[in-house]
Amino acid sequence: MSINSLYFVAFVAIVCILYYIFPKKAKWVVLLIASYIYYFLASNKLIVFLLFTTVSIYLTALLLGRIDNKAKDKCKEIEEKELKKKIKHRAKTKKKWVVFLAVLINFGFLACLKYFNFIAGNLNGLFALCHFQIEIPFQKFILPLGISYYTLQAVSYVIDVYRGKYEPDKNIGRVALFVSFFPQIVEGPIGRYEHLAHQLYVPHKFQYKNLKFGIQLMLWGYFKKMVIADRAGLFVNEVFAHYANYTGITIIFAIILYTVQIYAEFSGCMDIVRGTAQMMGIEMAENFKRPFFSTSVQEFWRRWHITLGAWLKDYIFYPISFSKFTMHLTNGAKKIFKNTYLSKLIPAAFALFFVWLGNGIWHGASWKYIFYGLYYYIIMMIGMLLEPLSNKILNLLRVNTKAFSYRLWQMFRTTIIVFIGMMIFRSHRLLDAWKMFCSIFTWQGIGSLFDGSLFNIGYIPHDFIVLIVGIILMFVVGLLQEKGYHIRETIAKQNLPFRWLLYYAILFAIIIFGVYGPGYAASDFIYGQF
Amino acid sequence: MEELLKLLKKIKPEVNFEGNEHLIDNEELDSFDIVSIVSAINDEFDIEIGAGDIVPENFNSVQAMYELIQKLED
Repeated sequence: MSINSLYFVAFVAIVCILYYIFPKKAKWVVLLIASYIYYFLASNKLIVFLLFTTVSIYLTALLLGRIDNKAKDKCKEIEEKELKKKIKHRAKTKKKWVVFLAVLINFGFLACLKYFNFIAGNLNGLFALCHFQIEIPFQKFILPLGISYYTLQAVSYVIDVYRGKYEPDKNIGRVALFVSFFPQIVEGPIGRYEHLAHQLYVPHKFQYKNLKFGIQLMLWGYFKKMVIADRAGLFVNEVFAHYANYTGITIIFAIILYTVQIYAEFSGCMDIVRGTAQMMGIEMAENFKRPFFSTSVQEFWRRWHITLGAWLKDYIFYPISFSKFTMHLTNGAKKIFKNTYLSKLIPAAFALFFVWLGNGIWHGASWKYIFYGLYYYIIMMIGMLLEPLSNKILNLLRVNTKAFSYRLWQMFRTTIIVFIGMMIFRSHRLLDAWKMFCSIFTWQGIGSLFDGSLFNIGYIPHDFIVLIVGIILMFVVGLLQEKGYHIRETIAKQNLPFRWLLYYAILFAIIIFGVYGPGYAASDFIYGQF
Repeated sequence: MEELLKLLKKIKPEVNFEGNEHLIDNEELDSFDIVSIVSAINDEFDIEIGAGDIVPENFNSVQAMYELIQKLED
């Protein structure tokens, strides 16, 4: 049941009706049952993996709580400070092992199912190179739906309990709902327990505003996915599949359109997800904040797939930054470089390496994804390394860095970097990405831009016009939001005929201009594969 | 508090810390600044701020950071 299918819309409508019909105490149960039905329909017996993760993190959190309480009780009975310290230290070590095991098992499942064949393939290559007569056979694993998303979400819960951020939840139903909530299970956003679990559990009264705003957000999401992303995909799929047949300008166009496609699709999916939840009064975390208005790569990643970035920051960047090894590294850097910029940069560079490696690996079992992550790492490192020098040059040239023109240049620069990243991301292999990148500079076939043949690749003539209108609309909405306008609130203030004209326009645009697969089946989401 | 303010100004002189209660929310401090601030506080006050303490509420203002230090000193 894809999120952009009619079945999903019908499913959401039924769940929503049941949610508001059922008594207050049973509302969260409706969501839990609906989530498990949704997951079972999509994954069948693979639901055991979801169940295992849920039970394992629930029990781990309880065990962590028990270790903590036992240590506290013991400390209450004891006066001696040293002994108290010892008890606390012992409890901390115990907790560390418990949480380590839980994280290892849950990530172990993810690693085994997602990366086994990738690791086996690379090891086999290495064995062959060393003339070892060993070959690890490939396995036909089926990846459970949304495992990359719900594992991160589940692991964040146990780590937060370990860190003492909140008490373990004694209600397994609430933990199960937090992990499995159906709108978010396929593509996120990766929610945090302290923000989401309570919202899912407490009953929400029916409010017309929530229903209206939720439907509006869903409609906008479907528009972005089916009218813009899927239409851009027609051109992108053709060029990326047969890139050797195309020349520089077409390749550039395909890269730009792929960037449009993935943004419209992923952010569109998030609008559908957030809209679905909002209909039931649940506010989910935002995953996109108009990333193409970013003036640096760092800012781009604070606005693009926000919940993944935040997860990597909280559970990889900070723990590595504050680890004993990094502290030694910091002290060593201070000794060599004194209190200079470089001494601060070295520990940050060390921690960031794992963040971007993690980002790449999370996206998929392929060298191109690892390179994709490290590409951003290298860009950031170069930027940070050259920052003092570039600041000096800007001062020397008296460049007004606050001027709009300078911001525009920064946005342009960031977008070009993102385009190259997207090319790596979309290519079948790293070698293909490299060949495509080289072919950009051939500058052949520029005539296709003027004779119109460029606009016919993968399209029937009107497709391109619809796509351009869609992109302009998406840009205008983004620009207005960037300027601080609240689009839905503004629409709500308009007169009734205008409002309904707008709703019908979007609805009919989706029906008439939406791209459908065979038999009007909806096409898949790119990020659903991860 | 004075000591902490001095330390923060040394690390990030361009930020106005006094009376500012949205240092993280307004993105005036980023994750690299937080790492520098935490390691400086750990050294100066001989405490151990862990990854679990890195939440916006603890770093949005000088007062919040001061309260975190006091909590960890206890």
